[in-house]
Amino acid sequence: MAGKTTKKAAKKTLLVGIDLGTSRSSISADNDKKEWVESYVGWPKDFIARKVVGKPILFGAEAVSHRLSLDMYRPLKNGVIKEGTARDEEAVKELIRHLITLVDEDTENTRIRAVVGVPAESFKVNKVALKKAVAEFAESLLVVSEPFAVAYGVEALDNAMVIDLGAGTVDFCIMHGTVPSEDDQRTVLTAGDYIDQQLYNFLQERYPEADFNINMVRRFKEEYSFVGEVEKPIEVEIPVEGKATKHDITEEIKRACESILPAIVETTLELIAKFDPEYQDAIRQNIILAGGGCLIRGLADHIETVLGEYGPAKVQLVEDPLFSGSNGALALAREMPDEYWTELK
Amino acid sequence: MSDAGNAKLKSIILQGVHEENKRLLEKGYGGVRAARRWRRNRFAVRISSLLLLTGLLVLTRFIVFPALYNGDDSIAPVEQAASGPILPWATVVMQSANNARLKWTPVDINPRELLNYSLLLNDEQVRVSSVLGLDVQTIVIDPGHGGKDPGAIGSLGTNEKDIVLDIGLQLRDALTRSGRYNVVMTRERDVFISLADRVRVANANRTDLFISLHVNAIPQKEYNVTETFYFGPPTDKYTLRLAEQENRGSEIQAGDFKNMIKKISDTMKEQESALLAASIQQSLFSNMKKHDSTVSDNGIKIAPFVVLLGVDAPSVLVEISCITKRDEEANLKKSEYRKQITSFIKEGVTSYLGQRHLQIVEGEHNGRKNNKESS
Repeated sequence: MAGKTTKKAAKKTLLVGIDLGTSRSSISADNDKKEWVESYVGWPKDFIARKVVGKPILFGAEAVSHRLSLDMYRPLKNGVIKEGTARDEEAVKELIRHLITLVDEDTENTRIRAVVGVPAESFKVNKVALKKAVAEFAESLLVVSEPFAVAYGVEALDNAMVIDLGAGTVDFCIMHGTVPSEDDQRTVLTAGDYIDQQLYNFLQERYPEADFNINMVRRFKEEYSFVGEVEKPIEVEIPVEGKATKHDITEEIKRACESILPAIVETTLELIAKFDPEYQDAIRQNIILAGGGCLIRGLADHIETVLGEYGPAKVQLVEDPLFSGSNGALALAREMPDEYWTELK
Repeated sequence: MSDAGNAKLKSIILQGVHEENKRLLEKGYGGVRAARRWRRNRFAVRISSLLLLTGLLVLTRFIVFPALYNGDDSIAPVEQAASGPILPWATVVMQSANNARLKWTPVDINPRELLNYSLLLNDEQVRVSSVLGLDVQTIVIDPGHGGKDPGAIGSLGTNEKDIVLDIGLQLRDALTRSGRYNVVMTRERDVFISLADRVRVANANRTDLFISLHVNAIPQKEYNVTETFYFGPPTDKYTLRLAEQENRGSEIQAGDFKNMIKKISDTMKEQESALLAASIQQSLFSNMKKHDSTVSDNGIKIAPFVVLLGVDAPSVLVEISCITKRDEEANLKKSEYRKQITSFIKEGVTSYLGQRHLQIVEGEHNGRKNNKESS
C-alpha cells in the first residue's frame, strides 16, 4: 500500500485544456505543448483494411485520407454525441486519448487534470457521457461549454458575449460574472458545414460541368471566405473533364458565407434583448468572435454594423481562433484551486 | 476592472464550475443511465402535459361545446371561419365540431394517474427547459410520391410529385435558415422512395418531427380543400380510401406492421401529432383563404397512413390543396404561389414549436415558485 502511494506521488501532474469541437479538436497543456486534430475517428472496416492502413485506429486528416477503408465517425457532428450509439461514445473516448498522447508521451507516469470544453448543446446533453469517456485517461476532469472556456481564456468575464463559430454549430454565451446558465447560451446549426453545403450547391448550379467534391469546397471556403465585398475576384482551379480550369467563385462564396448571417444576428439580438436592459449596451460593446468561422473576412464588421443600429457596438476576434477554446480551458485548469479537483475513480 | 475585482470574479466563477460538475456526480447521474432516466422523465413530462391538455379537451367537449357533437356524417367539405388565433387544443375541438368526419375520441383519463404525473413537473431532476421544446432539433420533410409514382395528376398535366418536392425543398431551406433545426429530406429529387424507406430515413435520423407533403385529388372537381392528417383508425370511407391510395406500394411487411401497430398506444406521439397538425392546418387554411375565398377547411383528421405510423416522432401528413380543381392546379404551377404555400406551412410549424416554448417558460416559473415555497 505504502509502495503504491509512493508510486502515485512520484507521478508528475499535467494540466490540459481540451476543446472538443465538431470539426476540429485541440489541446493545450501546461508543458507549453499544443496540438489540434480534425475530429474524425476511423476504424478499419475489416482485416484487409487493417493491413492497408497499418493501424487499429486513425484520427483526423489521416483518417479522412483513408476514409474508404474505414468506418468513419465524427462523434460530435451537430454538436452532440448521439445517445445510445456506442461507437460515437467510443470515438469521443479515443479522440480524447489521442489528444492527450499528442502532448504527453509518458501518460503512464502522468496525472492528468483536464478541463474539457464541448459545444453548448453537448454540454447540456452529454456532460456525464463525456466524464465517462475521459475517466480512463485523466485523474480529474471538469466539463465546461466551449464558448464559456473561450470567454474565460480572454478574461471576458462580465457583460460580454462570445460567439463561437464552429463547423457543426455556432454557440453563443453571455457572461455576467458567473458561470453561464442554459438561459445564457444558445446554439444554432447553420455553421461551417452549412456554408460548405451551400457553396457546393451554388457551384454545382453555376458550373455543372466542373468536377469537385465537398472537401475541395471546404478548402475554397477556408481560403477565401468573406462577407460584404472583396477587392479582387476569387478564382480557383477546378477540373473540367480532367483539365484544370479557372472558375470565378466570388459570388458563390459570398452567398454561401452570408447565408449564416441572419441566424447569427437574430440570435445575438435575442440574447442581448433578454438580458438586463441596464447592461445591454455594455454587452453589445463587448462581443468576441471565436472558432474557425471567425476567420471569415468582414464578419466582425458586418455584425458590428447591424448591431450598431441598436446602439454602440464593438465586435472583436480572438487572437488564436484554433486554440482559443483549449487555451481558455487550460486557463481554467491552471487557476482551479486544488480542492476543486475531484478524482474520477 | 481592478486586479482584485477580477480575481474575485474569477474565484466566483471557478467555484461555480466546480459546484456544477460536482452536483452532477453527487446526484448519481451516470452516462447511459442518466440519459435513460432523462428520457423517461421527458416522456413522463410530455405525457403529463398532454394528459392535462386532453383533460381540457374532454372538459371542453362535454361542458363548453356539448351541442356541437351531433354525429353528422356528411362528406362534403365544410368551411370554417378563421377568426384570430386559436389554441391548438381548441382548434382540434372546433374542427371536429364543424367537421363531423373527424370523430375526435378523447382519451379516458384516470385522475389519480394525472395527479401522479403532475407531481413529476415539480421534480427538480426533470429538466423542463430541455424536455418540452428545445429538444426539437431534427425535422424530416417528406415530399410524397416521386419517380415512377407521379401521385395525383391535374387536368393540365401537373404532377403531385413535382409540386410537393418544390414546396418541400423550400420548406427545408426556410427552416434551415433559422439555424435551429437540422432538416432532412426523404427525397431531394424526382426519385421513387418506398414508404418503408421514408420511415427508415426518419427513424435513422432520430427525427423529432415528421411532415409529409401531399396534394389532394377528389372527385368533386369544383372543390378545393385543405386538410392535415395524423395517424389513427379511419373515421369514414373517404379517409380509408385516401389512406389506401397513399399507402400503395409501401413495401412494409406484415411483421413490421405488427410491431408498428404497437405504437398506436403511444399517446405522446398521438397528442403531439394532433397539435402539430392543428397548427399547420390553422396556418395553411387561414392564409390560403386570403388568396382563395372558396377554399374549404377539412380540418385535422385521423387516418391510417403507414408512413405516419412507422415514424417514431410526432408525424403529420398535409394535403395542401386539390390539384383536381383547375384554378388551383394553375396556381400550383406558379412558383410564387408555391413559395407562399411554403411560408404558410412554415408558419404552422414554427407556431407549434413556439407553443412548446411557451410551455417551457410556464413550467420553469412553476418550478421556481415551488422550489421557493419548499425552501
